[in-house]
Amino acid sequence: MFRSILRQSRAFNGTTTRNLATATTTSVTPRIKTFKIYRWNPDTPEVEPKMQSYDIDLNHCGPMVLDAILKIKNEQDSTLTFRRSCREGICGSCAMNIGGRNTLACLCRIETDTAKETKIYPLPHMFVVRDLVPDLTHFYKQYKSIQPYLQTENHPADGRENLQSIEDRAKLDGLYECILCACCSTSCPSYWWNQQEYLGPAVLMQAYRWLIDSRDQASRVRKEMLQNSMSLYRCHTIMNCARTCPKGLNPGKAIAEIKKQLAFD
Amino acid sequence: MLSLTSRVGLARTSLPIRSSIPLLIRGIKTIPQPPGYIVGTVNDAYVPPKAHKLEGSYHWTSERLVALGLAPLTLAPLLGGTSTLLDSTLSVLVLYHSYTGFQSCIIDYIPKRVYGSLHNYAMYLLTFGTGVAGYGLYKIETSEEGGVSGIVKKIYTA
Repeated sequence: MFRSILRQSRAFNGTTTRNLATATTTSVTPRIKTFKIYRWNPDTPEVEPKMQSYDIDLNHCGPMVLDAILKIKNEQDSTLTFRRSCREGICGSCAMNIGGRNTLACLCRIETDTAKETKIYPLPHMFVVRDLVPDLTHFYKQYKSIQPYLQTENHPADGRENLQSIEDRAKLDGLYECILCACCSTSCPSYWWNQQEYLGPAVLMQAYRWLIDSRDQASRVRKEMLQNSMSLYRCHTIMNCARTCPKGLNPGKAIAEIKKQLAFD
Repeated sequence: MLSLTSRVGLARTSLPIRSSIPLLIRGIKTIPQPPGYIVGTVNDAYVPPKAHKLEGSYHWTSERLVALGLAPLTLAPLLGGTSTLLDSTLSVLVLYHSYTGFQSCIIDYIPKRVYGSLHNYAMYLLTFGTGVAGYGLYKIETSEEGGVSGIVKKIYTA
């Protein structure tokens, strides 16, 4: 075991300069990168939203965009507001629009070309609470509406777990990994136009996850709720969702599977 | 004591309407939406529209079937000859195909939630247009030599 760890660390040392998120390297020439960040303060609503520039020396900054905005908040402007928590792409808090693409700041590398500036916006077409913080209340309300929990009529005889075969469990792969960061939903033009009624890719993928769960017995109600022109069928297979997903999932395929299930219902 | 309407930045609706917007669009009244699109409290689940299979899965399935059927019907006049029956089926399916396409556009861009009765008027206009086009197709099929594919052929060879 120790040998394998040693081998791993050797492999790491053998490659080029690989930094930890917090470690920094020193170099002679500073690499100044400009970040333009969307700013809006609810305390001064008469001031229009604006893009504010911050210069960061990449030699003294971690590799990810989250490192950069944390550095800005720590050292330059403590009023910059954004959500973050796990810094490793599992909480979904730091979802934002970086360089025109919805992604997690903690999983997005800083583009090392210092000639170009990186623009950071909050998730598009959402109400902004402040700076990079979008209002996800409606998104969560939609998630709640698909009843994302196990519903069974008859309970296991031994009063213990609801068991599932390995094959049935494998069907949930690629669906359960979703962290509900809302990157996909807010990248979907259909969700932009009709987010009050269209559930959006993230929520629909979870709807599908509960539809195909072998232990769940509420499929009839789950399908019934999608049988209207708005909730599901506003999906026009634009597929921005699959392109933008920071976890590499494919909500578009899940929606297509729901449509197929409903067609043969 | 701050009421919602007295907050400076939120009172956007009272700003003078920009004159760059065309007069016709400026006259359109939209239904104001709840703040943050939140209906009820923040803890209530979103309530979907009522289930209606004709607007849901049946509609979607019919769209796909028509799209599938259009492929061989479009190729038929190119590869072999065509008949009045094939040609009228093709034109009816094309008509339905464009009807559902425009219907989707109206639901997307003129939603009832925001535009109210204007959504209905758009739908009536679409239905009327489809009716007129259907009558035109009927005239073509009954009087024109070769039907729609005959006209296309004439234009192509002209």
